[in-house]
Amino acid sequence: MSVSKTIVISCAGMGTRLGIGTTKALVDIEGKPLIIRQLELLEDFKDIRVVVGYQMEKVIEVVNSYRKDILFVTNHNYRNTGTGGSFSLGIKHAADMVVALDGDLLVNPEDLRRVLSSDKECVCGAVPYTEDPMYMKTLVQDGKTYGVGFSREEGEYEWTGLAQVKTKKLIPGDRHVCDMMVPLLPLEMELVRTKEIDTMADYENAVMWVRNGYKDM
Amino acid sequence: MFFFDLDATITKAEILQEIAEKTDKKEQIDALMKNVSEDVPFYHTFIEKIMVLKSVPISTVRNIVNNISLSDKIVEFIRENKDRCYIVTSVPDVWVDALMSELGMQERYFSTKAISQGDYVVGIEQIIDKGQAVRQIVEETGCLSVVTGDGNNDAQMMVVADVSIGYGGVRAVSPTVLKCATHVVYSEDRLCQFLRQLL
Repeated sequence: MSVSKTIVISCAGMGTRLGIGTTKALVDIEGKPLIIRQLELLEDFKDIRVVVGYQMEKVIEVVNSYRKDILFVTNHNYRNTGTGGSFSLGIKHAADMVVALDGDLLVNPEDLRRVLSSDKECVCGAVPYTEDPMYMKTLVQDGKTYGVGFSREEGEYEWTGLAQVKTKKLIPGDRHVCDMMVPLLPLEMELVRTKEIDTMADYENAVMWVRNGYKDM
Repeated sequence: MFFFDLDATITKAEILQEIAEKTDKKEQIDALMKNVSEDVPFYHTFIEKIMVLKSVPISTVRNIVNNISLSDKIVEFIRENKDRCYIVTSVPDVWVDALMSELGMQERYFSTKAISQGDYVVGIEQIIDKGQAVRQIVEETGCLSVVTGDGNNDAQMMVVADVSIGYGGVRAVSPTVLKCATHVVYSEDRLCQFLRQLL
């Protein structure tokens, strides 16, 4: 890797739809909390920031039991801000390149490593699979797919919340990470395999997916 | 500008506890701490501890303080960036002045001011207001302010700083610090890596 990179994992939210009484990053996936599954793929990175809010003590304890050199960023206003609010706190004083990773997202390890091993700016899309997707509008040029916008109505791919961009281009915001990406578009799209965990159905699906080697049955 | 708590941030042990353990005051301090709860203001217990420890000669206390292990990486950061760092401590000036000199920070620290006679502390002239210390320097310089600390009394500094880091490398970060810090970190290396990103 030629540039320094900060990974920002946003784990401040409450995960109310999942009904687990804890933040989604701590949900158990095949014997391990989701956040630990993410951290296992980030061993090579020195600047990892976990944004915490709801039940921060619990998240800190779980993360510390796995790895001590994490910088926790606190989002005390987590009830009133979206992932964009947490990401905006995480990118303050960050390295040249920053990676946005939602705390409720499982990414196929091979795909995540591919994105992270490159210094290319990108937004990551998946084949639509959730009940209420945020679509990415795309454009194909010279054999490459570019993300050009976001939509609740249409798009070939689903926005995953995973992106790798230059820190200085980002304008902080309180809403969603995708809102912060809009001024940067078009950006090359990387197709990744992911499972987002919002509902109980998502959870069951994600467990099966991990059991099957991060692939659909 | 970088502001560091001393006790259990720069030092690897709690200073007043260390003084008690190295003298005959341990039982008295332990008895005092038994009755302490989160509801008792920090400085109430702090003054009671000073009153117990004041019968230890200043020269003995300085010697004990100078022998407490320090967080090497934090000290290295302070030495490298001396003109941008301050140490802010509740521990009385006459007990820490020798350590401050050793760190080259004799002109760059804020502390509680003790009244001394001969080799003994006889009273307290002024308890430090950590928040006021930070505010004063920030108003003078207008620089980005970065505070690092762990205890309830460090929250005073944290609420006025731009970046406030709860450091849990020596002992647990206090609940109050967790509620107001912008960042929390448990490794000294990681803390210093972040501090360098803030330079």
